[in-house]
Amino acid sequence: MRSNNWGFFLREAVKNLRLNLLMSVTAITTTAVCVMILGAALLVSAHLQGIIRNVGQDVTITAFFPENASQETIDDTLSSVQGYPEVSESTYVSREEALDRWKETFSDQPDIASSVGSDVLPASIELQLNDPRDSGAVAEKLRSEGFEEGDLNYPQQTIDNLNWFTGYMVWALRVATILFLIASILLISNAIRLSIFARRKEIEVMKLVGASDTFVRTPFVLEGLVQGLIGATLAAVVVVWANSAFVNWAQSYLFSVSSESINAFGLMLTLIAVGVLIGVAGSYFSVRRFLKV
Amino acid sequence: MIYFNNVTKVYDNDAVALEDVNLGIEAGEFVFLVGASGSGKSTMMRLILKELEPSRGNISVNGVKLGAIPRRYVPKHRRNLGCVFQDYKLLPNKTAAENVAYAMEVTGQKRRAVRTKVPQILDLVGLKDKLNAFPGQLSGGEQQRVSIARAFVSQPPILIADEPTGNLDPETSVGIMQLLHRINHIGTTVLVATHDREMVDVMRKRVVALEAGRVVRDKVRGGYANEV
Repeated sequence: MRSNNWGFFLREAVKNLRLNLLMSVTAITTTAVCVMILGAALLVSAHLQGIIRNVGQDVTITAFFPENASQETIDDTLSSVQGYPEVSESTYVSREEALDRWKETFSDQPDIASSVGSDVLPASIELQLNDPRDSGAVAEKLRSEGFEEGDLNYPQQTIDNLNWFTGYMVWALRVATILFLIASILLISNAIRLSIFARRKEIEVMKLVGASDTFVRTPFVLEGLVQGLIGATLAAVVVVWANSAFVNWAQSYLFSVSSESINAFGLMLTLIAVGVLIGVAGSYFSVRRFLKV
Repeated sequence: MIYFNNVTKVYDNDAVALEDVNLGIEAGEFVFLVGASGSGKSTMMRLILKELEPSRGNISVNGVKLGAIPRRYVPKHRRNLGCVFQDYKLLPNKTAAENVAYAMEVTGQKRRAVRTKVPQILDLVGLKDKLNAFPGQLSGGEQQRVSIARAFVSQPPILIADEPTGNLDPETSVGIMQLLHRINHIGTTVLVATHDREMVDVMRKRVVALEAGRVVRDKVRGGYANEV
């Protein structure tokens, strides 16, 4: 391909984009919507995995004493737990302290704060572990001390619960993402095909005056690239903005959502790359059908 | 320049468009291809362009056997052929000058060459005042002149025209034919498919008559109908 052709291709592509504005807008919007959905799916699964990771980093195990536990049992347990090599620190929380914490947590909501008495909240022991991966083993030991599974609160439990939930969630998202990708490729190549169909006469003329296939195709592919780029960029900006808004909102509440779950720049590049790829592939294959003159 | 050897073309629906056609057109000739609609004129044109492949027989154009041209060299083959059509096939969103320039750009010619040559050729076909008019702003005859300018701008050795005056009134048609005649005079081989009886009778050129896909008459300095 001669270098002086590129100026011609670019001029043609830009001119065509302008002349077929409606078709371009259709293709761009379709790309943007599809890329946005893809981005949302990626966000949700990344955040879920981030939450699981965060919970896994938690080194605290809480063991609640049964209602009827005597002070003697409690002391015995405390002293034996303090001997565990995995435990770096252990704190006993009496019923009174538990109530104080409760009141402190809900100090701005007096109704809730005053709704419980000291007899409701159980005493507990809080263990800080050296390594979060030991939590399962320590929980096992605590069970042999006489704690019921239901009286223990340790990360593995949460992780198991989350895993059970997110396992399905992530799979559903993956399936949805693949379906949306397929749908978006079909939609976009259809939008591009429509715009090419509207210009099949132009292609016919090009072929008749002796334009090579590459020559006919290149402006269309460039056009697809530009459409994909614009659509995907719009979508990527929206997705990244929505992500940071969500992270801010979640962090000011209770979620253990971290902004580090997602590399916003990488996500943006991925989405734009996907959009461009769809645009280029879509127009390449759509033009091919009309080249057989 | 253009040779048909025992060419038969049967379409997919079993319609026989051409049957055992033998025809030789030498360099520099001006040939009318006449016959009723459906007699196979357009099929011959499309075979020459390699838009279609013959069912049997072979065609050679410009010394090259068309059957031996691989698909990717078809564009190169078409650059040796200027084409003019009944419906002009101009791009409506480009001006007259841009339409002509397009044919040069498509074949990768330098922009400088395009800028100097396009006004020249449009001047030659008598449209020097209409460079920036869009096809919609031109009369049928003017549009056909643009189309001829586009076909001839790269000076191909062969120019083929399929019913170039089919949509034009007799007076305008004369102008178009004169233009084709002039192009032929410069040495271009010209093949015109038409059923414009008067025109053929007036021009006294070689006439090849087709009837139901067969060459029924081939006469130098002939008329449209069979002359006694």
